[in-house]
Amino acid sequence: MIVPGFLQAQSKKTFTVSGTIKDKTTGETLPAATVSFLELPGKGVSTNNYGFYSIAVPEGSYTMLTTYTGYRTDTLRIRLTKNMLNNISLSSGQSQLKEVVIGANSSKSKNILTLPPGVQRLNIKDINNVPVLLGERDVLKTIQLLPGIVSAGDGNAGFFVRGGGADQNLILLDEATVYNPSHVLGFFSVFNSDAIKDISIYKGGMPANYGGRLSSVEDIQMNDGNNQKFGASGGIGLIASRLTVDGPLFDGKGSFIVSARRSYADLFTGFASDTTTKHSKIYFYDINLKGNYQIDANNRIFLSGYFGKDVMSFRNSFGLDYGNSTGTLRWNHIFSSKLFSNTSLIYSNYTYDVNIDDNTDNIKVSSAITDYHFKQDFTYYLNATNKIGFGLESTYHITQPGTAIASASSSYNDVFLEKKYALESAVYLSDEWNASDKLKITYGIRLSDLSVLGPGNFYTYDKDGNKTDSTYYQSGKIVKSYITPEPRFAASYQLNPNSSVKLSYDRNAQNIHLLNNSAYLSTTNVYLPSSNNIKPEIADQVALGYYHTFQQAGFEFSSELYYKKLQNQIDYRNGADLVGNENIEGDLLYGSGRAYGWETYIKKKTGKFTGWLSYTLSKTELKIPGINNGDYYPATQDQTNHISLVGMYQATKKWTFSADFVYNTGDAVTWPSGKFSVDGAPVYYYGSRNSNRLPAYNRLDIGATLLAKKTAKYESSWNFSIYNVYGQSNPYNIVFQADPKNANKTQVLQTTLFKMVPSVTYNFKF
Amino acid sequence: MKIQTLIIALVASILFYSSCQKVITPPLSNSAPQLVIEGVVSDTTGPYHINISKSVNFYADNTYPNVSGASVTITDQTAGVIDMLTEASAGIYTTHSIVGTPGHTYQLQVVLNGKNYIAVSTMPLPVVLDSITFDYTSVKNMIQPVVHYQDPAAFVNYYKYNITVNGVKLNRFQSDEDRLMNGKYINEDLVTDTGAIKKNDLVLVNLDGIDKGAYNFLQEAENIAFYNDNLATPATPTANISGGCLGYFSAQTVSSKSKIVK
Repeated sequence: MIVPGFLQAQSKKTFTVSGTIKDKTTGETLPAATVSFLELPGKGVSTNNYGFYSIAVPEGSYTMLTTYTGYRTDTLRIRLTKNMLNNISLSSGQSQLKEVVIGANSSKSKNILTLPPGVQRLNIKDINNVPVLLGERDVLKTIQLLPGIVSAGDGNAGFFVRGGGADQNLILLDEATVYNPSHVLGFFSVFNSDAIKDISIYKGGMPANYGGRLSSVEDIQMNDGNNQKFGASGGIGLIASRLTVDGPLFDGKGSFIVSARRSYADLFTGFASDTTTKHSKIYFYDINLKGNYQIDANNRIFLSGYFGKDVMSFRNSFGLDYGNSTGTLRWNHIFSSKLFSNTSLIYSNYTYDVNIDDNTDNIKVSSAITDYHFKQDFTYYLNATNKIGFGLESTYHITQPGTAIASASSSYNDVFLEKKYALESAVYLSDEWNASDKLKITYGIRLSDLSVLGPGNFYTYDKDGNKTDSTYYQSGKIVKSYITPEPRFAASYQLNPNSSVKLSYDRNAQNIHLLNNSAYLSTTNVYLPSSNNIKPEIADQVALGYYHTFQQAGFEFSSELYYKKLQNQIDYRNGADLVGNENIEGDLLYGSGRAYGWETYIKKKTGKFTGWLSYTLSKTELKIPGINNGDYYPATQDQTNHISLVGMYQATKKWTFSADFVYNTGDAVTWPSGKFSVDGAPVYYYGSRNSNRLPAYNRLDIGATLLAKKTAKYESSWNFSIYNVYGQSNPYNIVFQADPKNANKTQVLQTTLFKMVPSVTYNFKF
Repeated sequence: MKIQTLIIALVASILFYSSCQKVITPPLSNSAPQLVIEGVVSDTTGPYHINISKSVNFYADNTYPNVSGASVTITDQTAGVIDMLTEASAGIYTTHSIVGTPGHTYQLQVVLNGKNYIAVSTMPLPVVLDSITFDYTSVKNMIQPVVHYQDPAAFVNYYKYNITVNGVKLNRFQSDEDRLMNGKYINEDLVTDTGAIKKNDLVLVNLDGIDKGAYNFLQEAENIAFYNDNLATPATPTANISGGCLGYFSAQTVSSKSKIVK
């Protein structure tokens, strides 16, 4: 009979080993490093996001092993007769052969057992050699090469996880929500890889401390900065340059990092002969800042911030600028060797402005979303087999769906759409239970609440979207409250030392909805909280996976099946106008969806040649009353087949070569099935929704890195890459239009953004 | 205001150096020909015309088969006048007695093969186009007419613009509403194709005052005709005529101005 672990009587005397695991040279804490004991196979614990671990084991003598990808395994003999504090520093580099054997035997729990299905963790070092567009290393572009994660196309930072929408990904930077992760309308992501430590991706089996989005969590952590010595690193590329400075503060009790990046294509447009280009500019910048201070052995504070902005202007008459800013203040407190606490105060803002200043109009349109967020998380290391997580969080959202300020001479009136206020809160409790040497179960519940708050007018609509009633609520009054219980469950069972099966079920609720009925513009978005009309979106997902490690060959294999059911999905009425529309909720339609698929992944982790192959077979369908007679139809992102192949080859000490290949079925799209005339212009007739397909997408990128100089103090390298080597014309945009050369015909015109883009980047570090 | 158009122009110009365009011929499904009814009653002198035709496949010529033999009636519901239209040429049905009057409500009834198609449209009060000028600068090689007129604050107004160059009507229309500009003096650039208007051309601009039903159709039709690449989920514009056909019926006022491009 299986009894939940924390109910089992404690028969043997146990003590707790706890501490923090850091990088020896930089002092950076290492999240997800594993601690295990040679004498206790199957028992182990991984460090949390702050490098803290705690594990209770019976009294005795042990060989404690600390492992972390890309670092030498640390072995330490300990005699445990009382609770013990062991802070470990690891040196980077390949493990010695002997250690690999030990490490391999003991770290079988690593990917095989510790991570629930659907979870992937990438160290920033893993992605540095993957070739990317214009040499800008990009963590969000790289994760789109993993199974189950597909790109929304060239020139679009959006991505779809297991059939979910682009707004259904929770992207966190040091716990702060980043609403729009794109620069230059989506060509690059906002994350400067120099400032990033690692990223955890949850496609399913989300731990109960995460919530708020249906499809995935991308938890990105910034570097803390070197607390041993000052350093600088940077790069000069074709599009942007980067500079990072970090170093110790307060005699090594703290550290800081400042990382900045700016693009400079605009610096050259002034020289252009074409007047349109000459008077246009387009650039972005971002700054990451972080500082931390170790007050004493049990208290540490962190302050981190991100500011990024994109500025575009067109012939001085039209401008668009947008950006995210976030700030996080965190306090780590170790109450005891068993109880770890983190308290966070988080600010997040996304704003966009459109300026029109031409002969006839002077108008500025703005929209924004601002979050004030409090979060308290506890980890209680109850005993050798149970780790309890619990906590609460609350976010006050203020969304500004749009204001327009026009000059007196303008054709337009000022528009002030009411701000929307909502309080999103959650409490959670979860237990990570090592039920036996072979079985690990994580289960928990998250209870989330969204309270729609006044002040404001709240409207009701009839089935055709016409306003029927309006009620005014005072400031602070609760208009509507939605409580959603979100159960989470994940189990891993180890079949033998090299293979395991995993099962997970999770429910997620989403209360912040992104409205965008445009095919690809990703900046002029409207964010709305749930309301009296918009109900929380809900997803239930079941996933089953099989994992196998080929220790000798250094291969890792996984295969997962998932099924996801979606409720309260949002679509738009024909002709819905999202700009400056106070009755926007009357233009929305609601329906359900389902997504299922099979993902296979094989990765080679060691040796001169590393890389992975991923394949996904999937289907994603929506069912919305009023569309396609209420039958299921393919969602836009329903890419049946998705293949990506990534290879990196360390040819010599100086040269590393890399390549990636991507193939996927084209998006489901709606194309005309006829035409008729309105006022002499051809207007198109459409059959059923999303019944056509874009041509299949495929692309090969290659890259090479030359380590130009490496001394103890200075390191420099050149990175060369070619994006889309064979010049495949992947469609960015397809328009159906009157043939400009023949008034009696219509034509289909395809625009391709990138056909073979070479680039070179110089990187340095000292 | 078409922000979307401007953004696309911006992105395209900045990225042009690496982007390229080509005409493709993807396979498109063919639908059965659909009935299309298009007709207008205006406050200018009649007769007015109703055109009945069928849709064709996308890759076919822009020649739409006319539909003959329909019984077409327009009723001035305000004045109580009924006008039976005559098929003057194949698919084109012409009025006799009816006079377009602002404020009057008109009903169109088409009976064809035993099926009844009905639309109702109310002619708004006239709005006068004061003048037109030209914008030579916004987009390269594109001369855009600019309309100038006062939007009446007391009413909800919907508009349609048409441009005629040297007596030839451009196959382009543009619709607008005063939702964001009620009561303002309006100066608006009209969208034209590059090169459609040249120096020394005689340009005539029509400002049509239309009602909500016609506007809803025209606005959807405009997005489908000219901006379909920007729609995540394009769909057939919904006719303001009941009975299951495409097209629209509009009772509208017309005010026009012409000017030679200097």
